Amino acid sequence: MIRQLFTLIWNRKKSNFLMITEIFFSFIVLFGVLSLAFYYLNNYQKPLGYKYDKVWVMNMRWNQEKSEEIKTIQRRLKQQLNSNPEVESITLMSSNIPYTANMMGTGFDYNNRTVQTNVFDIDKDFARVMQLKLTDGRWFNDQDLNSKYTTIVIDQAMRAEVFKNEQVIGKIIPGKSGEDTGIKIVGVIEAFRQNGEYSATAPGFFKLRDVEMDSVHMKGSLSAMLIRIKPGVASGFEEKLMKQASRIAQGWTLEIKTMPEMRTSYNKVALIPLIIFSIVCGFLIINVALGLFGVLWYNISRRISEIGLRRAIGAASGQIYRQFIGEVLVLATFGLLIGLVVALQFPLLQVFGVQTGVYVAAMVGAVIIIYLLAAACAAYPSRQAAIIPPATALHEE
Amino acid sequence: MNNFSLNPLGATTALVADAPHAPDYVIKLTDIEKVYQTKTIETVALHNINIAIRKGEFVSIMGPSGCGKSTLLNIMGLLDEPNSGTVEIDGAPVKSYSDKTLARLRNQKIGFVFQSYHLINDLSVTDNVELPLLYRNISGSERRKRALAALEKVGLSARSRHYPNQLSGGQRQRVAIARALAGQPEIILADEPTGNLDSVMGNEIMDILLRLNTEEQTTIVMVTHDELMAKKTERLIRLFDGSQVS
Ligand SMILES: Nc1ncnc2c1ncn2[C@@H]1O[C@H](COP(=O)(O)OP(=O)(O)O)[C@@H](O)[C@H]1O
Ligand SMILES: [Mg+2]
Repeated sequence: MIRQLFTLIWNRKKSNFLMITEIFFSFIVLFGVLSLAFYYLNNYQKPLGYKYDKVWVMNMRWNQEKSEEIKTIQRRLKQQLNSNPEVESITLMSSNIPYTANMMGTGFDYNNRTVQTNVFDIDKDFARVMQLKLTDGRWFNDQDLNSKYTTIVIDQAMRAEVFKNEQVIGKIIPGKSGEDTGIKIVGVIEAFRQNGEYSATAPGFFKLRDVEMDSVHMKGSLSAMLIRIKPGVASGFEEKLMKQASRIAQGWTLEIKTMPEMRTSYNKVALIPLIIFSIVCGFLIINVALGLFGVLWYNISRRISEIGLRRAIGAASGQIYRQFIGEVLVLATFGLLIGLVVALQFPLLQVFGVQTGVYVAAMVGAVIIIYLLAAACAAYPSRQAAIIPPATALHEE
Repeated sequence: MNNFSLNPLGATTALVADAPHAPDYVIKLTDIEKVYQTKTIETVALHNINIAIRKGEFVSIMGPSGCGKSTLLNIMGLLDEPNSGTVEIDGAPVKSYSDKTLARLRNQKIGFVFQSYHLINDLSVTDNVELPLLYRNISGSERRKRALAALEKVGLSARSRHYPNQLSGGQRQRVAIARALAGQPEIILADEPTGNLDSVMGNEIMDILLRLNTEEQTTIVMVTHDELMAKKTERLIRLFDGSQVS
């Protein structure tokens, strides 16, 4: 029976070509949407590495001050603002704050291999403010402030990518020139996904740049201040904070945002491609479903006499129904096979560096949806075909 | 009273295992009335029909167009139900049988031949002939064997790989007969099998049917417009306006 179905579909491949192509395209688009969705979902389930609630971000823009002067002002700012009972802790950070598109990266050389990593310049209070999770070694302490080496804390992704299974704590990576004394790794944190929940985990490390450092160790300045406030503090505190800060940093442009706000708007943007893609896909699927339904309806009306013949030679009504559903599923199978050949190239060629599991889940999902869609479109026309009385079906020519 | 195997595509045997007496008739119609009801008019297609067909008989049915011949054949072939009266197949009344049971009876006992062949153009000759066997539990190789044997009987072995539209009308009708034979039915119901054919090809078809009847004792009921064809059969039933006139 199955073989006959395949023969029938194969022999009618010309007239079925359109449907097979439609199914193929729907599969590809669906596969794309589901890959993206599963990619986001997969990222979402991985640890973010920090806690964004109760964190306020103050961006600072100074004028012509020298870096020493900026450091003095920022030290005072930290001290003053921290003395508020509402504030839990304060840290300074480079401009690549979570939930912003600002990126800072470097090619990290190790063992003749260069790995692109994120670099976050932060001071020693950063772990407390962002509540990072240390998985190995230690966080920066006072000894690191004026250490001979540039001390860094790396994240798990960087450890896995750059150092594989090596012991990393205490590892010193010598500098290339005489001035550059080298890098020393003191700790490993779970993660720090700057670009939020939907982004992929990327290797990154933290470099200590504290206002308590001397000018040899601390060149340049950090432009963001992250403030963790205590639970239950009203948003009116923002104004007070702003006033205090402006008195200290006179002439600077200051701006406060809460990290949850930043997160909401950033994630909205991150999801836009998925949303647009889903809407487009939705319309396409509706179109294909209607087309499929129409073609099936038409095909069945053309095949009334075949239905009559089959009934006469022994097909029960249910067998006619199953035959027509079966034909559509076989058709869908042809479209899906072509689609799978194309879809399989993505995990095989690893074009986007997305995990194979994501693609596999998307393929399985798309196959199931297409089969369900095809069966749903076929159900009503097939039902109609099945209930035509045999004598009537034979009557029509 | 009927002892059907539960397997829907089960064996041919034991379909009417414990019928009261050995059946005298393969088909028996009693007091058949058939009325087609449309919105505006009511057509009496058959009125007071009583026909009994014995095993091995070759019966022809004649009558003007629209007199109810096809309707009669459809009722005999369990494709249509009368408004009243009884239809017995092998001595067992088929009233209130389920759609599945009727389909199985058609599949195992009856072979149909139509004026317009009703072949599926997208299937090869062999695949067409195999069709009735698809609704049985038969292996692919056995199906193929029986299909080729049936094609042999109608002299079309050489055309088994062709497609219907590569054949002449007479050849197509022979394929249709082979399809009816593939299921080894007791009864063949043929509705104007030569109606679309010229006399040479028509005679070929008629010869095949006569041979089946004499050599294999297949019961045949054939609707025809052709007096000459009808004369070659054992018995002639004439219909006029839905009633038997002889
Ligand atoms: N499905 C149907 N609905 C309504 N009227 C029908 C139907 N089938 C047949 N008839 C009518 O019943 C009569 C007998 O038809 P039919 O048995 O096909 O005649 P024949 O085969 O002798 O030409 C005709 O008047 C025909 O119009
Ligand atoms: Mg007729």
